Amino acid sequence: MSVLSVEGLSVSYRVLGGRLQAVRDVTLAVGRGEVLGIMGESGCGKSTLAAAMIGLLPQGAEVAAGAIRLNGTDMLRLSGEEKRRLRGQRIAMVFQDPMTAFNPVLTIGRQLADFAGAHGGVKGAAEIAGMLERVGIPDPGRCLRRYPHELSGGMRQRVAIAAALLVRPDVLIADEPTTALDVTMEAQIIHLLRDLRSSFDGAIVVVTHHLGVIAELCDRVAVMYAGEVVEEAGVDALFRDPRHPYTRALLSCDPAVVMPGSGHLPTIGGRIPDLMALPAGCAFAARCGMAEAGCAAPVPRHQEAGRSVLCHRSAA
Amino acid sequence: MSAVLDLARVSVALPLGGFLSRARLPILMDVSLSVGRGESVALVGESGSGKTTLARAVMGLQAVSGGSIALDGQAVEGAAGHARLRRAAAMMFQDATASLSPRLTVGYLVTEPFRIHGVALPDPEGMARELLAKVGLPPAMARRYPHELSGGQARRVGVARALALKPRLVIADEPTAGLDVSVQAEVLNLMADLRAEMGLAYLIITHNLALVRHVADRVVVLYLGRVVEKGPTAQVFAAPAHPYTASLIAAEPRPDPRQRRMDLAIRGEVPSVLRRPSGCEFHTRCPMAREVCRVTAPDLAPVGAGRQARCHFADQRKDQQGEQHAVEHR
Amino acid sequence: MSFAVEETVPGRRGIGRALLADPMGLAGLVLVVVFLLMALLAPWIAPYDPIALDVKAKFQPPSAAHWAGTDHLGRDLLSRIIWGARLALGIAITSVGIAGAIGLVLGLIAGYGPRWLDSILVLIFDSMSSLPMIFFALAVITVLGPGTTTLIIVIVLVSFPAYARLIRTQTLALSGADFILAERAMGAGAGRIIFCHLLPNVVGPLVILICMDIPVVIMLEAGLSYLNLGVKPPSPSWGNILSEGYNALRQAPHVVVVAGVPLVLATLGFTFLGEGLRDVLDPRGAGRRWG
Repeated sequence: MSVLSVEGLSVSYRVLGGRLQAVRDVTLAVGRGEVLGIMGESGCGKSTLAAAMIGLLPQGAEVAAGAIRLNGTDMLRLSGEEKRRLRGQRIAMVFQDPMTAFNPVLTIGRQLADFAGAHGGVKGAAEIAGMLERVGIPDPGRCLRRYPHELSGGMRQRVAIAAALLVRPDVLIADEPTTALDVTMEAQIIHLLRDLRSSFDGAIVVVTHHLGVIAELCDRVAVMYAGEVVEEAGVDALFRDPRHPYTRALLSCDPAVVMPGSGHLPTIGGRIPDLMALPAGCAFAARCGMAEAGCAAPVPRHQEAGRSVLCHRSAA
Repeated sequence: MSAVLDLARVSVALPLGGFLSRARLPILMDVSLSVGRGESVALVGESGSGKTTLARAVMGLQAVSGGSIALDGQAVEGAAGHARLRRAAAMMFQDATASLSPRLTVGYLVTEPFRIHGVALPDPEGMARELLAKVGLPPAMARRYPHELSGGQARRVGVARALALKPRLVIADEPTAGLDVSVQAEVLNLMADLRAEMGLAYLIITHNLALVRHVADRVVVLYLGRVVEKGPTAQVFAAPAHPYTASLIAAEPRPDPRQRRMDLAIRGEVPSVLRRPSGCEFHTRCPMAREVCRVTAPDLAPVGAGRQARCHFADQRKDQQGEQHAVEHR
Repeated sequence: MSFAVEETVPGRRGIGRALLADPMGLAGLVLVVVFLLMALLAPWIAPYDPIALDVKAKFQPPSAAHWAGTDHLGRDLLSRIIWGARLALGIAITSVGIAGAIGLVLGLIAGYGPRWLDSILVLIFDSMSSLPMIFFALAVITVLGPGTTTLIIVIVLVSFPAYARLIRTQTLALSGADFILAERAMGAGAGRIIFCHLLPNVVGPLVILICMDIPVVIMLEAGLSYLNLGVKPPSPSWGNILSEGYNALRQAPHVVVVAGVPLVLATLGFTFLGEGLRDVLDPRGAGRRWG
């Protein structure tokens, strides 16, 4: 049974001169103990989707259709107050730059205590220190007396994860959790999140554009393009046997997979379509090497064991 | 033939800033490296390794406290030396959008180097079009402002601007940082094309090892402001001689779920430059540190042809890995 | 975290258009334009000579011949208000303009120049602005004698340190920015960096501050003139009119009202315009203007 499910969600922004369709008919689900990766390039709608999942859509965003269910309750139908309570207790978020998540003038200990107190009942300093230790902070007592700017980026990210876990959420959403970090720290955070998956009884959603992070960390992956999930599959199936031409193109142009000395790196020609004037058919057709006349028609979602692909030619 | 850029034992120390205090904090220590004509050299390290400071020192944006910098075999000294260097070398900044002056148009920005160096520019618009075309941007882009550009476009404008005066050397600070995977590939291809076409030499500063493998002929690894390893890229990646290099390579997330690493190659983080460890500065994080590493600082010593490493056990390690490598390929 | 939708940066919208979309800013703009027109066209639109006496017709209430009535010497008040606008705006814009220019140059030098120069300039700004404004103004007037020029000198001296400090802070913040480093790396000299790259990025806030300061200066001029320390009496300063009206408050209350209304309207106009400009020009406000 899934903890968090997104059903037919569409989100658009009112902008000058029209509507920008950021997320279109997205359906996803994530269960306990599972790590779902949401992968895509800038402008694909992954950040909007993450924001919708935690109920923090920016002003100007409108949910045109769909539902986001947390343990069966549709979060989109809740009042602001109920949503806020849910956000603290059942669903937590880790941001790309953890500095922005902390108040610079309060100590880490004070903030964690306030945070835990506000959302999960009063917790003792011992419990907070225990959580810091669990996320790999060497001297929790000292860390609690520090101010956010006194910690390194990696340490701040660990504290942010600890803060998120203190409230024992059902879902932890991590938006580009390693993008601001060095390789060695990135590896450690990936390791930490992977450890947490087994010990913490909730679902983790990781939003990133980094293929390496997806491959290292996730169980299932949803690939987004122009606001749609174009392919969803288990991580191994997706990397071994990508079905959507966009997934294939994306995987093949990562400098990390191309053998060195092979000359030019493959690229994806063209640009993402204008999100204010999307074609009726496949949004990727204009850049797709396999496109044919039929691709201009609306795309049926092709489902098979454990995966779904949004492509006319996926059956072929 | 002399190298385009030659750094000999360059050191940078920042004043600690106390009243009347002459104490200085060493950021870079005795860094020597050279970039040959048309060669591409990568400078690798984590944040705090001093790699950006080095780029700034080369461009004269950061005062050097020791050592010397030479361009085409001639020492860069004083204002005249820096002016010569800034004409022959160009820098691409990590944050491409932020490195473009926000109130000026792209057309003005790409032709600005001509104005700065007093080079005659009879047809600025034509030159702007030509430079933009060279980096694959449409001429209409000349009328845009920096905030109207996407990350990839801003990066291309940065390249166009760097190329304006036909430099021999381009210093690129994290040229693919913050770009999408497909755009990264485009920028790297562009850099490769321009190198072939114009005979450019690159000094690329990055922590992205995938990038290094693709574009660099040689790699220089920095740790806490010291060179810990340098050598030809292919050899260094195949058999790193310094454990730090080895752990950087191992830490890189691989886009292949079947090659997940279950153990961590390296723990903890780079120590503060305010509290440098004794002996070998990497011993606090080194998986193979022994007693001698805590006490004695190793020198940067040759390890095979064209390679150097700063490790007591570099030779041993290289031999071991060579064997392993041979086994894997059998 | 930014949820901004990438790749869809809106084009640079005209400042004018954005200002028109904001009711407060629009109201401010209209008021300011009306006062500017009054000031510029005073000789043509004023129905009477503002200093022509007609003692027989003193203290007349508003009528068809004198829309705003007359004062204790029978001068037409509407004409005096219109000419007063010319005087008030003339003094305010000249003095604040000069102060702004001085502040801009000194602020840029302090912010981008060598540290020792910065320390000296900051010391000057701080000591200037630590003087109590009214006493300083009184001291200067005592030395130089009252009059329009004195007034302008006083206002310039009192207001430039604030402008210089604003510009200095902005310049300091920008001088470490990547684009300034990039310019230095390309070999750009200090002059080019200051005038081509720093200046366009720091004037916005200065324009806003100046706009918000103009009403303060108008009030200061009116206040000093009221105390007979500003513009000398026959000249139709709003402060003079107010002062004269106050003396005859019981006989002819309309004089004070007529002199007070433009003062309030001009103050509101420039303040609204300044606030409107701040919303439009301030890049931090840009995010909420679309979407």
